[in-house]
Amino acid sequence: MATRMKLKLKTVFVLYFMVSLMGLIYALMQLGQRCDCAEHDMPKDRTISRLRGELHRLQEQMRKAEPTKPPQKLAVKPAQPTIYVITPTYTRFVQKAELTRLAQTFLHVPQLHWILVEDSPHKTPLVSGFLASSGLAYTHLHTPTPRDRKLQEGDPSWLKPRGAEQRNEGLRWLREDRRGQPGADTQLGVVYFADDDNTYSLQLFEEMRGTQRVSVWPVGLVGGMRYERPVVEGGKVVRFHTGWRPSRPFPLDMAGFAVSLKLVIANQDACFDGDAPMGFLESSFLQGLVTMDELEPKAENCTKVLVWHTRTEKPKMKREEALQKQGLGSDTAVEV
Amino acid sequence: MPKRRDILAIVLIVLPWTLLITVWHQSAITPLLAARKYDRHESRRDSRNTFTLKESCTSENSKDIVEVVRTEYVYSRQLPWSDVLPTLHVVTPTYSRPVQKAELTRLANTFLHVPNLHWILVEDSQRQTPLVTRLLQETGLNYTHLNVETPRNYKLRGDMRDPRIPRGTMQRNLALRWLRETFSPNNSNSQPGIVYFADDDNTYSLDLFEEMRSTRKVSVWPVAFVGGLRYESPKVNTLGKVYGWKTVFDPNRPFAIDMAGFAVNLRLILFKPQAYFKLRGVKGGYQESSLLRELVTLSDLEPKAANCTKVLVWHTRTEKPVLVNEGKKGFTDSNVEI
Repeated sequence: MATRMKLKLKTVFVLYFMVSLMGLIYALMQLGQRCDCAEHDMPKDRTISRLRGELHRLQEQMRKAEPTKPPQKLAVKPAQPTIYVITPTYTRFVQKAELTRLAQTFLHVPQLHWILVEDSPHKTPLVSGFLASSGLAYTHLHTPTPRDRKLQEGDPSWLKPRGAEQRNEGLRWLREDRRGQPGADTQLGVVYFADDDNTYSLQLFEEMRGTQRVSVWPVGLVGGMRYERPVVEGGKVVRFHTGWRPSRPFPLDMAGFAVSLKLVIANQDACFDGDAPMGFLESSFLQGLVTMDELEPKAENCTKVLVWHTRTEKPKMKREEALQKQGLGSDTAVEV
Repeated sequence: MPKRRDILAIVLIVLPWTLLITVWHQSAITPLLAARKYDRHESRRDSRNTFTLKESCTSENSKDIVEVVRTEYVYSRQLPWSDVLPTLHVVTPTYSRPVQKAELTRLANTFLHVPNLHWILVEDSQRQTPLVTRLLQETGLNYTHLNVETPRNYKLRGDMRDPRIPRGTMQRNLALRWLRETFSPNNSNSQPGIVYFADDDNTYSLDLFEEMRSTRKVSVWPVAFVGGLRYESPKVNTLGKVYGWKTVFDPNRPFAIDMAGFAVNLRLILFKPQAYFKLRGVKGGYQESSLLRELVTLSDLEPKAANCTKVLVWHTRTEKPVLVNEGKKGFTDSNVEI
């Protein structure tokens, strides 16, 4: 009986071996037929990483499913601070385009009040009409820059600080508006200086909403670098990572900080110095308000870039100018 | 005792086979993983969108072997979606450069306002970059992520004898092909769609998207800051038909219009499956004509934007940031994404 058993076992194993070998060959042939092109070793890896990615995504979706409720939920809370965005602007070809895409970003941010200040002796119809149809809560101001501080044709953009008078006008209006409405609640807010050609992510506004004094974060594509940022150690800003004149009191870009409304109102005289040397505009404002260790770092301890200092090219108008000389310029009634 | 050995033998034989079968079974089930997502979201998108990973080598001709890797994920999010509005398929070619994330961010902020928008983002890269993948996921938009790399010799060559492929052409063509493979002409009435080519540095007003939604064949409108003018626009006669082009730069082109100045009904794209942007031998400014002349004639064009008197899209261009202070080694941490 035992020998018969052994024999039987042996043949069974041999059979098993043959069958599995054939099965393996068959499987290999199947795999080989999927792609006739150069890279044969990639499909499997890609499938695996894709699967992993899908799994990860599903998990993320399940986690995210709850928070993505419409913003009305937030508006119910009465004490949510309003973000006052002060934007200086001036007439040029791309102005309407810049303001359009800026407004499209702001429309996503709840409790935002846009203070748009034109560099002009009077309100222009383009901006007035634009703001009226924007759907945003806004204040339309204007103040002209004195001629000697204005950039002339051909001046490089960094020659003179721009927008100082307009930002100061915004601050002045804000202080006056708050003066007329006493009460602790009306001092709840954050002031942010947003230029009209930068790019802002929606997350940035939520980061700045909780500002108690002055909060700071990295800014991309500025100072001749990929980004500039405050360096945070132990939850406090210890220095600034910037490639240009790091010895400035606050080597930040305008888009890299926000000030609480309370602080703005408490320091009635704090404003931007239009005569400050190049790069010192931000410092001229912040110096009187806060010290470096009081700064509140945001954007995950200043490691994420949520705002980019983009600049828009001046469109080439050679043909337009040539036509205008001939009196055949494009219809000025069409607003661009 | 023999009986136990028997049993042991049988177990030893059967066990590996069961393992093999379960592994085989699992690999067969993975394509269905994608389908599960749609059940969760109760999307009306059916399984035709669950493309598994496909690799295909396409050769335009023997000289330029191009590897096209496609992975498609179509997500339906909680953005407002109506079953009645035609879907706007917005095709955007993009490529890596410092301002890419910023451009895509503000573009996404614009698109988030537009209902029934499907963003087809095509990267000019060999592999899908994590930056774009992450960005698309975080926006919450309905999107499809594709990629195809423009061969290097085409990007750099600039001599007149063999002018380079205009930027974005291969990517737009890939999107057209994807559309043709995803949607069948027979269902075109139940899935109305409009195809629009939106570059990632332009500026779009929200009104534009509502204007293009009623496109029957090809609709056109003015575009600002192109052709060295404040704006270029089609010439529209009193009957509301396009008869010419108000441009200075080569107004005799068949379609003297910028990429951002027209939209095509999806039905037309599907009924004319041979229509693509011409890759080579295209003179500057003729790229749009290379596609449009295969789709429509001048009289078929539908003028929008109040008979082409309003400017709803601006051909803005973003300055290239001067990264002088990065130096050779890079001053900033390259792990921080910008």
